[in-house]
Amino acid sequence: MDFPSSLRPTLFMTGPLGLNDVSDLSMCSWQNVLTQPEAQPQNLKNGALHVTKDLLWEPATPGPLPMLPPLVDSWEPGLTAQDLLFRGGYRYRRRPRVVLDVTEQISRFLWDHGDIAFAPIGKLMLENFKLEGAGRCTKKTTVVSVKKLLQDLGGHQPWGCPWASLSNRQRRFSILGGPILGTSVASHLAELLHEELVLRWEQLLLDEACTGGALAWVPGRTPQIGQLVYPAGGALDRLHFQEVVLAPGDNPQFLGKPGHIQLQGPVRQVVTGTVQGETLLAVRSDYHCAVWKFGKQWQPALLQAIQVDKGATGISLSPHLPGELAICSRSGAVCLWSPENGLQQVYKDPETLVFRDSSSWRWADFTAHPRVLTLGDRTGVKMIDTQGPPGCGLLLFRVGAEASCQKGERVLLTQYLRHSSPECLPPTLHLVCTQFSLYLVDERLPLVPMLKWNHGLPSPILLAQLLPPPRPGCVQPLLLGGQAGHLQLLHLAGEGVSAPRLAGPPQSLPSRTDSLPAFPLLEPKIQWRLQERLKAPTIGLAAVVPPLPSASTPGLVVFQLSVAGDVFYQQLRPQADSSPRRDAQPPGDTRPDCRAPTASWTPQDTAGCSQWLKALLKVPLAPPVWTAPTFNHHHLLGSMELQREEGVVQQPGVLREAMAQGRLLLQRDLGSLPLADPPPAPESGPADELSERLREAWAGRGAAWWERRRQARTSGPRRQPRRPKRRTQLSSTFSFSGHVDPSDGTSPPHSPEGPPAGALPRSPITSPSQELTPDAWSQGIPSERRQTLHDYMAKLPLQRDTPGHAGTPPSSQASSTRATHSRQHTPILSGSQHPRKKPRMGF
Amino acid sequence: MSDFSEELKGPVTDDEQVETSVLSGAGMHFPWLQTYIETVAIGGKRKKDFAQTTSACLSFIQEALLKHQWQQAAEYMHSYFQTLEDSDSYKRQAAPEIIWKLGSEILFYHPKSNVETFNTFADRMKNIGIMNYLKISLQHALYLLHHGMLEDAKRKLSEAETWRHGEKTSSREILINLIQAYKGLLQYYTWSKKKRELSKLDKDDYAYSAVAQDVFNHSWKTSVNISALIKIPGVWDPFVKSYVEMLEFYGDRDGAQEVLTNYAYDEKFPSNPNAHIYLYNFLKRQKAPRSKLISVLKILYQIVPSHKLMLEFHTLLRKSEKEEHHKLGLEVLFGVLDFAGCTKNITAWKYLAKYVKKTLMGNHLVWVQEEWKSRKNWWPSFHFSYFWAKSDWKEDTALACEKAFVAGLLLGKESSWRSKNRPQTIMADSFFLAWMAICMYSLGTGDRLEIPLACLEMLRTSKLDGGWAPVPLE
Repeated sequence: MDFPSSLRPTLFMTGPLGLNDVSDLSMCSWQNVLTQPEAQPQNLKNGALHVTKDLLWEPATPGPLPMLPPLVDSWEPGLTAQDLLFRGGYRYRRRPRVVLDVTEQISRFLWDHGDIAFAPIGKLMLENFKLEGAGRCTKKTTVVSVKKLLQDLGGHQPWGCPWASLSNRQRRFSILGGPILGTSVASHLAELLHEELVLRWEQLLLDEACTGGALAWVPGRTPQIGQLVYPAGGALDRLHFQEVVLAPGDNPQFLGKPGHIQLQGPVRQVVTGTVQGETLLAVRSDYHCAVWKFGKQWQPALLQAIQVDKGATGISLSPHLPGELAICSRSGAVCLWSPENGLQQVYKDPETLVFRDSSSWRWADFTAHPRVLTLGDRTGVKMIDTQGPPGCGLLLFRVGAEASCQKGERVLLTQYLRHSSPECLPPTLHLVCTQFSLYLVDERLPLVPMLKWNHGLPSPILLAQLLPPPRPGCVQPLLLGGQAGHLQLLHLAGEGVSAPRLAGPPQSLPSRTDSLPAFPLLEPKIQWRLQERLKAPTIGLAAVVPPLPSASTPGLVVFQLSVAGDVFYQQLRPQADSSPRRDAQPPGDTRPDCRAPTASWTPQDTAGCSQWLKALLKVPLAPPVWTAPTFNHHHLLGSMELQREEGVVQQPGVLREAMAQGRLLLQRDLGSLPLADPPPAPESGPADELSERLREAWAGRGAAWWERRRQARTSGPRRQPRRPKRRTQLSSTFSFSGHVDPSDGTSPPHSPEGPPAGALPRSPITSPSQELTPDAWSQGIPSERRQTLHDYMAKLPLQRDTPGHAGTPPSSQASSTRATHSRQHTPILSGSQHPRKKPRMGF
Repeated sequence: MSDFSEELKGPVTDDEQVETSVLSGAGMHFPWLQTYIETVAIGGKRKKDFAQTTSACLSFIQEALLKHQWQQAAEYMHSYFQTLEDSDSYKRQAAPEIIWKLGSEILFYHPKSNVETFNTFADRMKNIGIMNYLKISLQHALYLLHHGMLEDAKRKLSEAETWRHGEKTSSREILINLIQAYKGLLQYYTWSKKKRELSKLDKDDYAYSAVAQDVFNHSWKTSVNISALIKIPGVWDPFVKSYVEMLEFYGDRDGAQEVLTNYAYDEKFPSNPNAHIYLYNFLKRQKAPRSKLISVLKILYQIVPSHKLMLEFHTLLRKSEKEEHHKLGLEVLFGVLDFAGCTKNITAWKYLAKYVKKTLMGNHLVWVQEEWKSRKNWWPSFHFSYFWAKSDWKEDTALACEKAFVAGLLLGKESSWRSKNRPQTIMADSFFLAWMAICMYSLGTGDRLEIPLACLEMLRTSKLDGGWAPVPLE
């Protein structure tokens, strides 16, 4: 084999990454296009200038089209960053940072699965709870009445509600139970939850499971026919074999329904390869690998399946020997596998190659030597001789100063560029992709990349495919796929004795979201669903160069698979205009530079899209995973439930049912209408003295008003119309608490004049507007005092509806009636108690 | 993070700790992380309008570049210049480099741009991004070189060479070395042009001495320019090549050899196969003794066993008197044929067929066994499969014959190697049978009757001692 006679000048530095900024001279992609200055200057003038300036593949449509007939499975776009990251807080920080929201997640868990979280502890703490409402003579402060607690919690507010408030009892309970609940439930749960969240977050940042891609093309009997192999079904556990006919210059035809094989786990990687006329198909699942062979009728026949206990991370088919594969697992082991000879462990090291990295991702591939494998991890790529002593090897690529890597750079994908025919790139090249750059490394010159290019893809590159030259003598296209659907096409040249280089500027291809305009106009909810579906991560990429009928226009069909199991395809044509070099143009030439985008949607395309959309809409949405929390304490406190009135309880139930079904809550669901409330009248404020005074003064009666006012003030010394409620409370607390026997706190004595004690529990039905009913306001008062208060209230002379009997001065009475009058505008549902309010004003 | 979850993780006071714990300390950088964070409105510092527009503009330019819409990219570039006035000092410093990167790319591909435009842009950018002066100068010179403007490129490099700003750093020193070396390379181009002129001129020509003088002057300058760089570890193929050529021309063979030896054997340099190839070619030109050539190629063999020089190496070894060289010669041939790119190299197969036979006859069965031991479980399916027999036969009959012969030798029962009297048993093997099957097939179809006969002839004439029983073809 020829080695490039002269390599691109590169500085060679050893050391950790982030050191080397000098040798990173390849700042621009056009530099990679430049050919090496040859020793012969005349070459420079003639040969070197043949840079294909405009090597552009034109998409036939503005975006990829879905495979037809449609086969659509249901799919849910899993977790997003919004679900995991902490919102709010951290204001005024200099930069936003990643904070996983354990708080919300755990609070959701405690709400949703409170029974799991608290029941065992509740059982442990049983002696500290008093389940009956009227406990008997327990004065220990460590005993809490559950009934009261639940009463307080009855109107619980969800987490984050700004109006959430704590009652004293709740606070006391939390102080009491805090040490136990806080340490055992929260700490254990939170630890596990945090671990899980970190895992999910890492997965969201980089989902390495589908590295390599789960879509593959199997050539068929004739060059026009082939099969696409890909996983589908909601869980990606059904392997589909779809026959495709590639018609030159036309969209590929999908023949009938795909055949399928049901597997036991999700398919992560599908690899196909033809070696010595034998076509094999290798499939990697999380913990299993299997290999099929295509027979005479192009039917797959299973050769062998193996289990990988630690989890398989990569599988590759040997391009040299039929039926040989390399697999690697999370334990750091690399095995050579052939169905005849079984597994042969070649290498095992749980540590990463160059420096310590927590990732257990490994990748194995072949090299130009059939007995030498590459092993890749996040920190580098090593060549291992399977016949040599175990553990030895030569580093092919190092994340470090040698390749002038940046800080934080890691290997995402490494691939042996196998589809090399002798007239193109040499068969010794390996592709290494990181988050930032793409490297071409020749295994004959390890550590020094032959080509480095900054790809700038905003999502991790996990898919790559080197294609054969579409025309003899053409450069080789290299297709790169990012997880978020970004596609880039590069052109590699470097045949014979010239070093590999980029032949022309790289190009981006349309992603699936670019096909949105081809779909009909939709209502927002469906539009959003479609958008979500098109945005699903890409997990497979396969490109085929259809056979040339007359060697006129080579084409390229790119198939892509999304994680939802959708296959889309895109046809590409090389741009016909291989423009003459612009130096040769006359200076005044005003050739339009910006080529008008010739690609547009044909009615056939849009019809196909609508057909696909129809199939998508037929797929039922998965039921929501989250269900509303239920608090089941009825068996503990049956008495409370009984007292509720049927109609009141029913309504939230109806509402919840309607929400679960996703329909509107209609009037007929609620039964008869409640009586319409009178519209609230504008309240006259509490004695707007100022406006009154101004009005009087305007009318010239200011002095008279003042006189009136002064008289009124002196006549009623006890007149305090404002804040009557507090005053009542205070007076009741201070004046009478001493008189009451402490034992009365729990068993109220019946007063002959007062209302029966049995009337008290009815209070929950009263409208909240009646804030001044004794039962309502007494809730904030400790229970032992509350009874005292009730007794006192019952004894009050003003309780009766005879204002005349009250020993209060008339002026005070007048002001009090005014106050009650204003309150009577508010709706009162149970009128039996409103007369009680009057006397309190007189205090 | 709220106090609650902070408690769960233990006493975490520093923000950095929170971050690393969340990212599990991997230290990996995720360029897409920022967009994730931005989707969740974390109450961090909001981006200012200015920053928003510049970053949007940047993404538009990148998009246009990837779609080859040079005109559009140039228009966006106009607006992007505002980033030079960014109040964020970090961004302001990084801006010139980004502008140069994108701008030079646009100008390189834009159909209406020309060298003058590029020159103007480069000169402006050099002085805006004062830190990038050297890098931009070098790239500018490469651009000019690419367009065949040697003199302009040389001038740019000379300008850069004398540029001084701030304190000297090691990285800047290397850059200056690189610039000088490129300048040396350009001088070499002129020199080799002059040399060609000189070779065309008659020695008695009046112009001869002037041109010769010119040639000599150049040599001196170039050696100064290049020699500094090639002492720094790296891949400097074009420089070394031209430097050595000049040294050789002026008869400084020791100097040239020293340069090449350093380049090939210095530990700090990467193991560049070209370094050894250059040294070998040089020594060959100098008619160095065979042992020296062998020692150079021995190292190349360890680095690149698949190189085409290996066949030359084999011939050298074969001609050598030493026994160990003969053994190595066998090893080298096997080594070449191990590689995927060399499977159809008919010369290698021819050499191997001849040499295995010779080795067996020279009573060195152990050598073959040794080589074969590590290959016997994969060579048969790699080289001698039915598929290859068929396709080789179709494409290259000579290759198929050579392979069949080697297969016969290697795949025959090992015991048969010892019994020199029964060479025909060597042929009793799967590949041979497969190959015979093809012959039968073509016999059956009757289109190429001459094939099996030719093969039989080849086998018969092969100088194996003992009798040859023709395989029954019927």
